[in-house]
Amino acid sequence: MRRVKYLPTIVVSIIVVVFTFYNFTPFGWMVSTSFKSEKEAYRIPPTVFPQKPTTESYEQIIIWTNFPRYFFNSTVVSLGASLLSTIVGALAGYGFSRFIFRGRTFLIGAILASQMLPGVLLVGPYFKLLTRVALYNTYIGLILAFTTITLPFSTWMMKGFIDTVPRELDMAGLVDGCSYPKVFLNLVFPIITPGMVATIIFAFILAWGDLLWVLVLTSGEAMTTVTLGLSRLVTQFRIIWPQLMAGSVIGALPPVTLYLILQKNLVRGLTAGAVKE
Amino acid sequence: MWSKVYRRERRSTRFPFSIKYGDELRGYLFVLPCLLMLVIVLGFPVVTAVANSFTPLWSETKNFTLENYSGLLSDELFWNALSVTFIFVGGTVFFHLLLGMVLALTLNWMIKGRSWFQVIAILPWTVPDVVSGLVWRFMYNPTSGIINHILMSVGWTDRYIEWLANPSLALPSVIIADVWRGYPFVMIILLAGLQAIPEDYYEAAKVNGANVFQRFYYITIPCLARIIYIALALDTIWQMRRFGLIYNMSMGGPGHVTEILSLYIYKHYFKYFNFEYASALAVVMAIIMLAISYPYIRMIARRET
Repeated sequence: MRRVKYLPTIVVSIIVVVFTFYNFTPFGWMVSTSFKSEKEAYRIPPTVFPQKPTTESYEQIIIWTNFPRYFFNSTVVSLGASLLSTIVGALAGYGFSRFIFRGRTFLIGAILASQMLPGVLLVGPYFKLLTRVALYNTYIGLILAFTTITLPFSTWMMKGFIDTVPRELDMAGLVDGCSYPKVFLNLVFPIITPGMVATIIFAFILAWGDLLWVLVLTSGEAMTTVTLGLSRLVTQFRIIWPQLMAGSVIGALPPVTLYLILQKNLVRGLTAGAVKE
Repeated sequence: MWSKVYRRERRSTRFPFSIKYGDELRGYLFVLPCLLMLVIVLGFPVVTAVANSFTPLWSETKNFTLENYSGLLSDELFWNALSVTFIFVGGTVFFHLLLGMVLALTLNWMIKGRSWFQVIAILPWTVPDVVSGLVWRFMYNPTSGIINHILMSVGWTDRYIEWLANPSLALPSVIIADVWRGYPFVMIILLAGLQAIPEDYYEAAKVNGANVFQRFYYITIPCLARIIYIALALDTIWQMRRFGLIYNMSMGGPGHVTEILSLYIYKHYFKYFNFEYASALAVVMAIIMLAISYPYIRMIARRET
């Protein structure tokens, strides 16, 4: 009886240890390699930890490549797309949550279905469209493109959050003579701020990680983002792994940090639409 | 049935001075910016792509033709890409669900250290798939990668395994890398579902003498069925769209063994510039994805009204 009592604890501990190891190994390998010299990175057999840790890869990638520029571009584009889609998504979420109108079910279905469209279907015509309106290779063009990925999710997440705000609050506002925009801005908005932050982060992570759209809609170093820059480094004739891993660490830093700071919000936001009954 | 009651109740408690049609208009106004944007960034490209797919390849005239679609049927590489996609998506989704379920159950069980472990468990998912592709590519490196090194020190192999260059190992290797990246997302959704199951159910079952497995089979699984389905549907769609990971790990190679549909279509678009043919391929892919997700969309959209 005693053994059975402790069995779950033992099983849980084993699982925790195994998964922690599994999750951290690639991170560890990435960080470890980024601090190795090029010579050490190719040593056979490989060293697990850098024996002479050096920051030369970071220096090289920051000083000798356009990586800071890529980083800046990624930031601008991802922030733009996540802010835009969250604001627009919040408005739409409010509309879907509070009003009953004709075609509502259809529109909800359409927004859900729009997530299911593959990027490769959109990217070709979108490329032609952008070149025609002179938005090819611009921030605005990229931001609009990223909203195709982020907007449906943002709308859905914001609707989930707004659904949790009691309607009585709106009604109280209306009785006191607020208009609907005022109700939204002064009453609902403050309550859903954590939800909006979660949505912005989720959209940011999505936009930051995208490769396909940047690959197609930009050309030249000036508009390259982190993901595209890394992909270019790896298709070069000679791959310098420590540099590439240093770039990967830098590239992974913003989404990982944002997640670590605001992970409670994010988890709640992701599940708001899925689990609520 | 509940939704109907809910709706009626909502109508009746609506405020005296809000008129039905005025409200309807306001609803449209709130939703309008979102719809406009979706029409511009999604509607237009979709219509153009579909139109393109029915025009002849490399031609100035825009005559209607089905040749792209008939060509597709005899395109061996298309069928190859389709089967690679199904193996990739099937493999990754299966293992996402398996690992996600194990971890969600563990987290749900845990009392101490749960919040910490949850943070660790979700971490891989936040990394861009380009980055995880690169890291795994170097981990798979035959001579200086960590994976062969570990296998050799444990003594499971004594030769340098070419994970990504060996045609029969490349696809499983890519799948393993993606499992690491993708299972946390499924885990989050499943965990939320598990936490929504009332504790009383388990207590009642315990009192009646059900063991752990019986409780899992008769309570957890049925209560979780809908959530599992949602997680599966979402993950399948995400995995079909996956691009950056394989682009950076193998570029579809060696040969075409890891060439998933999105990569194959991309190549036709921007490497061979067969815009019309690529459009036809993409339309087929979109139809497959919409068909897979149709029950999901229907279920959610219905529940919301």
